Amino acid sequence: MEHTSLLERILRGIALTLVVIFFMFPIVWIFMMSFQTNETILRIPPQLIFEPTLANYTALITGKLMTAAGTLDIAFMRNLGNSVFLSVTSVAVSLLLGVPAAYAFARHKFRGSEDIAFTLLSFKFAPALLVLLPLTLYFQKLGLANTYIGLIWVYQLICLPLILWIVRGYFEDIPADIEYAYRIGGHSWFATFRKIALPLAGPGIAAAGLLAFIFAWNNFVFALVLASADKQPVTVGALAFITSSGIQYGQISAAIVLSITPTLALALYAQRYLVEGLSLGAVKG
Amino acid sequence: MASLELKNIVKRYKSQTVLDNLSLTVADGETLVLFGPSGAGKTVLLRLVAGVIDPDEGKIFIGGDDMTDVDAEFRGVGMAFQNFALFPHMSAFDNIATPLEAKRSSPGAIKAGVESVAKLLKIAHVLSHKPRALSNGQKQRTALARALVGSPPLLLLDDPLRNVDAKLRFEMRLELPRLLADRGATVVYVTQDYKEAMALGDRIAVMSQGVIRQLGTPEQIYREPANIEIARLFGDPTINLLDVKPSRDAKGIYVGLSNVQVHLSGAYDAAVGRDCVIGLRPEALSFVEEGIPGAIPVTVEAETPLNEKIVTLVRTVRGREILVSRPAGTPGRSEGKAHIAVDGKSALLFDHASGDRIGSKNVVALRNGEAA
Amino acid sequence: MTAVVSQRPKPSGFRISKKVLPYVLSLPALLVCIGILIPFLTSVVYSFQRYRLSQPWARQFNWGDNYISFFTDPKFWNTLKVSLLYAGTTVVLELLLGLAIALLLQKRSTLNNFISIMLLMPLMTAPALAALMWKLMTNPGFGVLSYLASLIGLQDFRWASSPSTALFTVVLVDIWVYTPFIMILLLAGLRSLPTQPFEAAALDGVPRSFVFFRITLPMLTPYILTATLFRLLDSIQQFDIIYAMTQGGPGDTLTVFQVEAYLNFFQSTNVGRSAALMIILWAITYFLSNIFIKNWLRLRERARGQA
Repeated sequence: MEHTSLLERILRGIALTLVVIFFMFPIVWIFMMSFQTNETILRIPPQLIFEPTLANYTALITGKLMTAAGTLDIAFMRNLGNSVFLSVTSVAVSLLLGVPAAYAFARHKFRGSEDIAFTLLSFKFAPALLVLLPLTLYFQKLGLANTYIGLIWVYQLICLPLILWIVRGYFEDIPADIEYAYRIGGHSWFATFRKIALPLAGPGIAAAGLLAFIFAWNNFVFALVLASADKQPVTVGALAFITSSGIQYGQISAAIVLSITPTLALALYAQRYLVEGLSLGAVKG
Repeated sequence: MASLELKNIVKRYKSQTVLDNLSLTVADGETLVLFGPSGAGKTVLLRLVAGVIDPDEGKIFIGGDDMTDVDAEFRGVGMAFQNFALFPHMSAFDNIATPLEAKRSSPGAIKAGVESVAKLLKIAHVLSHKPRALSNGQKQRTALARALVGSPPLLLLDDPLRNVDAKLRFEMRLELPRLLADRGATVVYVTQDYKEAMALGDRIAVMSQGVIRQLGTPEQIYREPANIEIARLFGDPTINLLDVKPSRDAKGIYVGLSNVQVHLSGAYDAAVGRDCVIGLRPEALSFVEEGIPGAIPVTVEAETPLNEKIVTLVRTVRGREILVSRPAGTPGRSEGKAHIAVDGKSALLFDHASGDRIGSKNVVALRNGEAA
Repeated sequence: MTAVVSQRPKPSGFRISKKVLPYVLSLPALLVCIGILIPFLTSVVYSFQRYRLSQPWARQFNWGDNYISFFTDPKFWNTLKVSLLYAGTTVVLELLLGLAIALLLQKRSTLNNFISIMLLMPLMTAPALAALMWKLMTNPGFGVLSYLASLIGLQDFRWASSPSTALFTVVLVDIWVYTPFIMILLLAGLRSLPTQPFEAAALDGVPRSFVFFRITLPMLTPYILTATLFRLLDSIQQFDIIYAMTQGGPGDTLTVFQVEAYLNFFQSTNVGRSAALMIILWAITYFLSNIFIKNWLRLRERARGQA
C-alpha cells in the first residue's frame, strides 16, 4: 500500500475523524453534562467551557436531592445496587450451570447433545417478550413476581447460551489427549475437570463471564416487565428517574455515567475476547 | 506384573470399522510392537487398552482381570502420547508427579520418585520448567517419565519418538530397550518406523485397516513376511519385487530372471505356472564374476554409499531396476557392466493376485494365531 | 442374566457411570431452560384464545381469530411495516458504515487498534441508556443536537417527538449502538484473510476497485452474512431503544412487534393478541435464525481450525 497518495491519506484522516466524533461525541457530551448544574445545561448555545460541579454525583450518592421545593429522595443507588447484585448473581449461577454443561457438550458427544445445545442457542434469538409475557402471569402465581430469584432465573436466558457456547469452544480447544493423560495417571473425571480442563479453559471462562455480565447489566426488558421499582436495575431505573425527577438533567446525566461506566470499563479490560464473545465463537479476534 | 489380553475387539466410528474383531495376547514382561501405517487402528487400540475410549464389542483383560468396563484411572497403566500431551500449566516436575499424586503418595515419596525417574531420563536439570520452555526431546522424556514414574505393570507407548529429531530418535532407540527391560513391565509400543519396531519388539504385530496382518518376532516378520505389503514395509532399502512365473525342471523349481534360471529352495510346488512376484532383499543379492552359474548380467546405474553399507542401483537386460546392498568395504561395481547372483534360499515368493507369500510356514502360524 | 463380576476390588467413593455423566453435567442447565420452554408453549395457547386480563371471565378459545383479524387490522400492518422498515434500514446502513470503518481500520497500527477499541464503547452501552443519552441530546429545549440542527437551518427539528422524524431518530440511535458490532466482526474477518492474493494482485498492478469487489468482498462474504443475520435477528426484535425513546410513539409511528405486544399486554391487557403478535415474530426469527445458524456454524468451524 505504498502508493497511497497524499490526498487519499487526507481523506482517510477526515473520514476517521468524523467516525470518531460520531461515536464518541454522545459519551463525551453526557459526561460533560454530568458535571454541570441545570443552569449551565439549559443555556443556549450549549457551553463547552463551564465550571464543573460534583453536586449531581453527590445528590445521587447521598440519595437526597435538594431543590427549591424541598428535599427529594432518589433511589438511584438502590438501582445501581440491584444492577450489581442481579448481574453478578446471574453470571455466577450461569457459570455454575453452564460450565459443566459446556464441558459435557464439548467432551462427551452424547445422544441429543447437539439438539440441546442448539435449543439453548435458539433462546438467544427468540423474542424476549414471547416468554416474558406469559411468565409474568406464572410468576404472580408462583410468588416469583418482583423477586430477585425470579429475575436471576430469567436472566439465565441471556447469560447461559453465551457462556455455554463460548466456554464449549474453549474446552474443545484443549487436546483430548491431555485429559486422557491425566486420567490414565489415576485421576477421576472430576479431578481431571478441576485440575486440567478448568485451568486451561480459565481465560475463556473469565471472558465469557465478563461478557455475560455486560449483557446482563445492559438488559432492559426483563426487569421492565418483571420487576417493580425496588428491584429494578439501572437501565429501567434511569428511565423512571427521568420522569420522577423532572428536569434535573445534570443528575440524569450523572446517573447515566455511573450506569455505563462498569460495562465500558469491563469491555476495555476484556476487549481481546469481545469479538469472539459477540459472535458466540464464530469469529476469533 | 500384568499380561494383556484382547478378545474380539470391535470399534466403529460412525459407519467406519476401525478395529475389526481383533484379538491379541501380550505376555507378562513382553514388549509388543504395534506396527503399521497411519489409520491402521494402532492408536485406537492403545486408547481402548488405556480405557479412555470404549470398545463396541469385545473384552479387555489386564493381569487376568476383566477391565472392559473399568474407568481409565483404575486400570493401572502408564501411557506416553505421540504429541506428548503434557499439561501446559504445570512444570515438568508437576507433570511427572501427577500419577504419584493420584496414589496419594507423601510429598517426600513424590519428590524421590520424580527425581529418580528424571535422573534416569536425564531431565533432572529442567524439572522446574513449564512444557513450553522445554525442547522437543525434553518434552518427550518428560512424557516418558510421567508414564514410567508410577511403575505401572503395563506401559503403553504411542509412537513416543515420532516427534523428535533423528539424532534423539537414534539415541532413544538404543536406550529404550534397556530402560524397558529394567522396569520389567509389559509394554505395548506403537510405531510407524520399522527399525524402531525391530529394535524394541520381542514380537511385532503388523496392523493395517483395523486387522493384525502378521504377528511374530522381528526375525520372522523380516524373513517370512506374510504378504508383499509387509515385505515392503520392513527393510531399507526396500525389497526388490519382480514379476515372475515359476517353472519346474529336474533340479527343482526356478524362476527366469533375464533369461537366467534361478533355482529356489522352498516348498513352492503350488506356485508353478502361476503369476507370482519374487521378493529379493537387496542384501540377498551380490556382485559376482561372469560365468558363475546363475549370474545375471546387469548395468550399474548408480551407487549410493551409506555409512555402513553401499546401495547400488542396477538395471537388467530387460530394463528392470534392482537394488543391491553390500556391507561397506566389500568389493563391488560402481559402474559399467556387472553380474549379480541371487541367494535362492532367501528369495521370497508371493502370489501376484493376492499378495500373500507362497509356501509360508508363517501363514500357518498366523492362522493358528493366538493358539500357537 | 449372569453378571460378570470383576475380581479386582471396586474403587470406593463417588462414581458416576461414563454414560450417565454427560447428562448429569448438563441436567441443571436443562432444567433451567425447561422452565423457559413452558411459557413459550403457553404463549402458543394464549395466541389461540380470546384473553383479556380486564375480562378474565370472557376467556375462551377462539382458535385462529387473533391471527385472522390481523389481515384486516391496519394496526397490524403498520407493525409489520415499521418492524421491517426499521430492521431493513438499520441493518443496511450499519452494514455499509461498519464495512467502511472496518476497511479504514484494516491496517494494524497502534492508532487503528486504539480507535477500534474506542468505537466499542457505544456497543457496550446499554441500548436503553443510549436512547436516554440521545433523548437528552435531542431535547428541544437544551439538546445539543437540536441546537446543531438549528445551526444548519433546521429550526424546530423535533427528532423523536415528530412522526415524520421519529423513525429517523431511533434508527440513528440504533446505528450509533450497533454499527461497532458489524465493524468489529468485519475487522476481525478482514484481518484474518490470507495475504497472498492481495500481494499477488498488488504485484500485478490490479486496480484496487477490482481487488475489492473480486477478492476482498467474496472472501469476506461469510463474515458479512453472519454479522448481517445476527443484526437482523436482533433488529427485527428491537425493543429497548424504541421503548426508552418514544414508547412506540408518537401515536403508533414506532409500534414495532415487541413494543406493540408489550403495549397490548400491559395497556390494553389483550393477552391473546399480544401472544399472536409474538408468535408471528417468533416465526420470522425462527426462519432467520435457521439460515443464520448454518452460516454461523461454518464460520465457527473455520475459527476452530485457526486455533
